[in-house]
Amino acid sequence: MYGWIWRHLPGNAWVRALTSLVLVLAVVYVLFQYVFPWAEPLLPFNDVTVDNGMAVNQ
Amino acid sequence: MRPRTVVRTLSELCVTTGTLLVLFVVYVLYWTGVRADSAMDEELGRLQERWSSGSVGAAAAPGEPEPAPEQQPGQQPEDAPPDPGAPPGRPGAPSAPAQPGAPTRTQPRAGTPGQAPPAGTDLRAGRAFAVMYVPRFGAGWAKPVLEGTGTELLKRGLGHYERTARPGAPGNFAVAGHRRTYGDPFKDLDELRAGDAVVINDGTTWFTYRVDGRPYRTRPDDTGVIDPVPAASGYRTPGRYLTLTTCEPEWGHSHRLIVWAHLDAASPVAQGRPGALSA
Repeated sequence: MYGWIWRHLPGNAWVRALTSLVLVLAVVYVLFQYVFPWAEPLLPFNDVTVDNGMAVNQ
Repeated sequence: MRPRTVVRTLSELCVTTGTLLVLFVVYVLYWTGVRADSAMDEELGRLQERWSSGSVGAAAAPGEPEPAPEQQPGQQPEDAPPDPGAPPGRPGAPSAPAQPGAPTRTQPRAGTPGQAPPAGTDLRAGRAFAVMYVPRFGAGWAKPVLEGTGTELLKRGLGHYERTARPGAPGNFAVAGHRRTYGDPFKDLDELRAGDAVVINDGTTWFTYRVDGRPYRTRPDDTGVIDPVPAASGYRTPGRYLTLTTCEPEWGHSHRLIVWAHLDAASPVAQGRPGALSA
């Protein structure tokens, strides 16, 4: 998978390395900005009230 | 050739999954705290701005640990002999949940200054309206209290249960906060002991509450703990109480941890920070 990506990147090794770094950063950004905020409420750390019914109306 | 590709792809998948999990842990343990801390600072700043510009004459800035002016020694009788319950910080203190005499005794004195909440303290859902200080959690510990207890809201500060009393008012002022993640505001809630101060500034008045008994562990659906007179608290008569709720155990959600306190003193913000914060 990673080998396949590497082979399909344009340019010489340095350009490829730089492009890969940018790609990795972009993936991390998407994860922190969108994926993890979606997944985090599935964990139990948000349940701090004694009336979860009311917690819905935010 | 074929098995080699399969093995390689499999190991790449494993490495990717591992990296994802590590990143997620970093997000939950660290990044939520970074975001929440800046959000809470923002709320504190906004609150202070509103107080200094609006009708509410709040000279005291939330968050800054300036030395308190010692101008009203007579105003702070709670400094002298604390409730007979237990001196703060003694781990083995007898855990009498509350001295039924204590709250009633303090009512008349505490009630007078901050009686009816003035117009400045309007509670709009999702907006900060007060700052909470808990010396036991550290001298710099100051968190905004927002109206409501929604999930999104609790990422920006502590949440006030909407149907409960206002700070200082008769009834039960109930507040929820994260034990872990999102800045860990109530991380040390289990360390509160009888006599510890919980101070609320609503822009006009400093309310000093004193903790009664030890933290109480209960079920997640036990809404009785935020009743005006919580049955399990040991309080028997209507009064001006405070309830703090968070999750228990620290990283779980099977139970809730509850701390109760009664109003001990109230003084206008113009008189400076109360004695409980300078001690």
